Amino acid sequence: MADPHAPRPAFAPWDRRELPGSFTVEESARRAGNYKWIEMRLFEALGGWIATVPELDVKMRLGTHCYHHAWHAELWHKRLPELREMNPERLAVPPNEQMERFVEALTEPEAADLTIEKLVGVYRVLIPHKIAAYTYHLNNTSTITDAPTIRSLKFILHDEMDDWRDGEMILQSLIETPDDVRRAAERQVELETILVAAGGICGPGTLGGPTSDEQQPHQEVSA
Amino acid sequence: MRKAFPPEDLARDSRFARVDRMDQIADPRAASGQGGGRPNQRLTPDRADSADAARSLMHGIFVGEIQALEGAGRTCWDFETGTDGAPFALKLDMARQCWDEARHCEISVKLSEHMGTEIGEFGESAFLYQAACNPDPVLRLTGVNRALEGLAIDVFNTMKEFGSISADPVLEFCEDWMLADEVTHVKMGSDWLRKLTEDDPERRANALEFQRVVDKLFSFGGFRGEDDESPVILARRFRELAGFGTDEIDEIAAISAEARDEAKAHRASLAAQG
Repeated sequence: MADPHAPRPAFAPWDRRELPGSFTVEESARRAGNYKWIEMRLFEALGGWIATVPELDVKMRLGTHCYHHAWHAELWHKRLPELREMNPERLAVPPNEQMERFVEALTEPEAADLTIEKLVGVYRVLIPHKIAAYTYHLNNTSTITDAPTIRSLKFILHDEMDDWRDGEMILQSLIETPDDVRRAAERQVELETILVAAGGICGPGTLGGPTSDEQQPHQEVSA
Repeated sequence: MRKAFPPEDLARDSRFARVDRMDQIADPRAASGQGGGRPNQRLTPDRADSADAARSLMHGIFVGEIQALEGAGRTCWDFETGTDGAPFALKLDMARQCWDEARHCEISVKLSEHMGTEIGEFGESAFLYQAACNPDPVLRLTGVNRALEGLAIDVFNTMKEFGSISADPVLEFCEDWMLADEVTHVKMGSDWLRKLTEDDPERRANALEFQRVVDKLFSFGGFRGEDDESPVILARRFRELAGFGTDEIDEIAAISAEARDEAKAHRASLAAQG
């Protein structure tokens, strides 16, 4: 057995975590607030739609996914005070008015024959944008100082990927005719256009580049 | 999407048959039906019509789970967080309940197949969902989580016992799992009722009165009670786990007995008229 008193490096050779990260505490909190806001809007909408969709498998999937997004909202709600935001409601806001407009448009369909429109908004527009924003955050934050956010992001991304796959497969099974294809595509264009105008779920800078506040790229903090 | 969704608009595929509550109860195959011509209606394998009665009850559980799922989902959507008296944590509980009810739908579909039933073989009335349409979140939660989910405790316990004595381990196993979830849901309702009405005794009284009305509806015709005349037995032990006091359970027992006596009188009156 090796000598237990022999000095060992603090970081094992396979542990490549680094201090530098793209986000300050404040920027991390701002993003977490935007995440909480959109996760709330999404779980509320999925819950509301359950009664409106006639397809039994879709009804049950929406119920399951509703909880996933509520749990994500809860994770961000709990993370905010750890990022010095003692009033989590203050930052649980949309990044801009376009994002509010996007959610209004997303949640507008109600009729029983609009399942494709409902699901396209969630699984072909919003969730892909969430996956992108969460992945950007995961790949750019400090792997040491912001480890709690990374842990949440990994759990959440696991759900998002599974839910996106579920939703996409349901959509592919519902889209049977050229008219269905056109409906799905038109709905995607309508919503994607608004979300692009919003700059993504955290506004401009969601995937890098200047945020609406700074108009400057984030400066990476070096160790 | 509207902020209130009426029962008549609940979306269903073509297999489902919407009926009113009276037609559902009058179905001779139902657990609360003729009981094979005997006064003892308790759901046991020695009932001549036990297979039909159990399958009917299973189908009723299935459509009840769909409506419970829809009701919990609507509570996520209908109330604005914080401002409508629906705190963030309450809405998280309702989202969790959506997942649980979705699983119960899945379990019920599988169990229905296991018991030889097809979706739509029995009628569906929307009376369970109606309890989830109250515009006050406290009353809605009391109606759904304490009355409706409370009934689910009684039904699942009855079905679990039926699975046990009829040597059906699949039925017994699944009902026990669903029973665990329902105890959690009823406890959620009890906890939120106490918390949200802590400083508002009038609102609490209104909520409990609403629960009484819903409990009586759910006891219609003596469907749920404490004696052998009721197919579904009041599950006192599990209700205690879910936060019901003995006096509250006694009251439900009394409401159930009253409903049964009213139904008996109604049947006697119909018989007298020929």
